[in-house]
Amino acid sequence: MLTNRGFLGKALAMRIVGPRTIARMAATVACFFVSGVAAALDFSTIDWQLHGFASQGFTYTTSNQVFGASRGGSLDFTEIGVNGSVRLLPNLLFSAQGLYRNAGGSDREDFRLDFAQVDYNGTFLDSALTLGVRAGRVKIPFGLYNDTRDVVWTRPSVILPQSVYFDTLGLRQAMISADGGLLYSRYNWGDHRFNLEFMVAEPQDDTGDATDFLTGMLNSPGRMDGRPLFLGRAVYEWMGGRARAMFSVVDLDRDFRSRASGVPSGNIQALYPLFSLQYNAERWSLTAEYGWVDARRSGFTPVPIENTSEGFYVQGEYRLSDDWSAVLRYDVFHADRDDRSGRSLAEQTGQARHRFYAYDLAVGVRWEFVRNWLIAAEYHNVEGTAWLSPHDNSDLLRGGGDPHWDLFSVMVSFRF
Amino acid sequence: MMSKSTGNLHRLIGCGWVSFLLSLALAVIVALGCAGKPVMAGEPSPKIYAAEGRADSLSADTLREIFFMRLTSWPDGTPIRVFVLPDKHPLHVRFSKEVLGVYPFQLRAAWDRLVFSGTGLIPHMVETVGEMREMVRATPGGIGYVDK
Repeated sequence: MLTNRGFLGKALAMRIVGPRTIARMAATVACFFVSGVAAALDFSTIDWQLHGFASQGFTYTTSNQVFGASRGGSLDFTEIGVNGSVRLLPNLLFSAQGLYRNAGGSDREDFRLDFAQVDYNGTFLDSALTLGVRAGRVKIPFGLYNDTRDVVWTRPSVILPQSVYFDTLGLRQAMISADGGLLYSRYNWGDHRFNLEFMVAEPQDDTGDATDFLTGMLNSPGRMDGRPLFLGRAVYEWMGGRARAMFSVVDLDRDFRSRASGVPSGNIQALYPLFSLQYNAERWSLTAEYGWVDARRSGFTPVPIENTSEGFYVQGEYRLSDDWSAVLRYDVFHADRDDRSGRSLAEQTGQARHRFYAYDLAVGVRWEFVRNWLIAAEYHNVEGTAWLSPHDNSDLLRGGGDPHWDLFSVMVSFRF
Repeated sequence: MMSKSTGNLHRLIGCGWVSFLLSLALAVIVALGCAGKPVMAGEPSPKIYAAEGRADSLSADTLREIFFMRLTSWPDGTPIRVFVLPDKHPLHVRFSKEVLGVYPFQLRAAWDRLVFSGTGLIPHMVETVGEMREMVRATPGGIGYVDK
């Protein structure tokens, strides 16, 4: 039975992660043990924890589709995760999380290994300075919400601001976690804290529809390779996060290798800087993020296509009581910041103008009705269809879609 | 009709940098106004509690690092084991605000981030002050807080 389960587990893991990643992780783990860390273990110092969450959403839209066939009300929005962390030494932590996610046409991956990493750090200067390294499949630390965005408890609303955190577009999968390493540092100076992270990793752009998104072609037959992604994030925090300012940037340079004779191979370069600000008072929080994606696709068309999108949002949260809070947000996305009305992109592509912008006014409430149980509901008034999934809305590619639409969403979640 | 008026609103607020800078300015004004809030007076203050007298000379900065789970070992190498009361417990609220200088929701947000990004362990939760004393005393490297 035990061997059976082990084999199954391994087979499952191979299917999800792929042999290359497994080998890399095994090597990382082996290095630590060979270096004698294991020999020095004192079992009274080992701590471990197991946590998880399960969330179920309901989505209704007046027109267009979000997370499944939402025009008739869709339950295709499920997020379930279980994670374990083992602290072998005070500064050596192993952790992994398995995730099941279903979000209609925009996420068809089901089960996946979300992260599996080892984290080691050292402290210096009377504990004011921490230097650390994290390796394996690591979460991508981008902006305020990216690294825990699948957990409704850590995001301000059921649906994150789509101008910055694309959920229905294929790029999502490449933004969640990646296989590689991360160096980080923290420096404390009184009430001030400075954080720096630098990451080099292989993005998961062969999963989900990331390839489609990056190449700009739907169902593109082929695979992505090329240089790993670079990411940097600098954070300043005052009073444990009372005020917070952040700059994150991702630099991507990937090659698409076509497997079909009629489809060209090509290269995509993308630079995504993001500025984040947050202020937390006792009763309310104010948050804003602004970023753009500078993309250059070459090889797919006779002339390389360069394009700069733009996204930002402003958000206020109000804590009505210990259990109730409300959120109000305005979120803007332009597929091309030099063509905000979408006129010339519409002419070039034959799609409707509203495909190239989205203005989303959202209001929501959340209630933690029992400890560790949460219900969140929100209403969005949206103009534009830029961030809708073409898999859930195939009419968009043929010039269809409704530019004015409303979205209503409810999510119930449990965590432990 | 409805969609037309909201469309105008969308265009009005939708001038990229304008709203971003406005909210930045607002945040700075509010931040200046809120700095230097007076500390609550009245009942006895929460008192930090750790076995073997370890907590006697810890600064507020160090305590914040410990309760945000970023400082993970004592100077002698023993792992730090943190105990807290539930988020809504009056003593937890007072401890967060008066000793650490943060709001309980800030701690919860930081702990959630640690758990779900796999970058740290979170405090053990106890239900009563009595249980807190017992657990801290019985756990090597334990730290918590009590009401005098």
